[in-house]
Amino acid sequence: MLYVANKLGLTSLKDMQGSTRVVYDQQTTASIALTLFAGSSQRNFPLTNLGANGNQFQVDEALLVEQIGFFIPDAADGENYTGLLGDSVKFDLVIGNKTVIKDAVVEFGGQQAFYNDGTAGSAVMTLEGVGILIPPQVEFYVRANAFDSRTRVGKSARLGCYLFGTAALLNFNTTI
Amino acid sequence: MANQVSKLNYVDAKLGAPTSGQQTTRYIYDSVLPGVGGTNVTFFQNFAGKTQFQTNLTTNKLDSMESMVIKSIYIAIDAGTAGTLTLTGHLNLNIYVGNQCVLKDFDPSFNASNRGLSFDRLHSGQNSSSILEVRLLTDIVIPPQVNFKATLELAENTAVVDTSITLGLKGYGKIFSAGMSF
Repeated sequence: MLYVANKLGLTSLKDMQGSTRVVYDQQTTASIALTLFAGSSQRNFPLTNLGANGNQFQVDEALLVEQIGFFIPDAADGENYTGLLGDSVKFDLVIGNKTVIKDAVVEFGGQQAFYNDGTAGSAVMTLEGVGILIPPQVEFYVRANAFDSRTRVGKSARLGCYLFGTAALLNFNTTI
Repeated sequence: MANQVSKLNYVDAKLGAPTSGQQTTRYIYDSVLPGVGGTNVTFFQNFAGKTQFQTNLTTNKLDSMESMVIKSIYIAIDAGTAGTLTLTGHLNLNIYVGNQCVLKDFDPSFNASNRGLSFDRLHSGQNSSSILEVRLLTDIVIPPQVNFKATLELAENTAVVDTSITLGLKGYGKIFSAGMSF
């Protein structure tokens, strides 16, 4: 995280509060193709937890994405949700004008080799090798399409996505 | 920071707090009733009238020779008589140490129940809709004599009069030691 921040000239990021963070957004109107996080400043909790800044972090805040998960909202109010339940999601993660994860798929149960959530099939992707840094003040979004994991037929669905990882929070003093 | 031990020593030394003391694993907790339809609760704020099982603190700061790392977050909910509230709906947890937000708009509900969405690669099948634990990626220190509190917002407004929510924070810590540390 600090390597990339330094490369981007974000010299003060190293002085910010280290934290663990998850940001999520959801589209509760079913569709074949969905864009998540874009326009999230217009949505309130529980539809998203991004708040007024929407899909860009404020000054000196950043998120090193280490895990991406997709879920299906139960209803239009976005209060509750399930895992993917037999569906997979093809997605792109875009930061600024750059696609940083391209045509990837979170397969339902696709992490069986090293992921155990009771008996539920996984609906997450743990990023391999390194995480991906979302820097401050740069818009990010996810393009997603749901489809049946077995028949490989696209389907219209409600969809939510979370990005989980190590974060920096704005801090005017020393980290504690 | 390599681990909880070095992070705690680093922060305590930075703040001029004593770094000697008995090393321990610390667990602090507080239970709150959100009230009928309540969706916002604050932990580690009011301690009056609570039993030893509802909280193990009497004030919202650690003693002058005590400090700890927040590494695990535990949340348990008792839906109450005829209540239906669980932890599976979206949650919004903030933790403040001093005047600083150290955990911001965090949604621990992804670790509730078993939906294939847990943050952990190995997530116990025991995990239920009323009890969850999140292991943080980072080590966050509560220094000695600094106020702390946590706020939790619930997406669902189905709390009843005796619904109870407990928040526990666990991690490496230091407690007062008059002599040799064991």
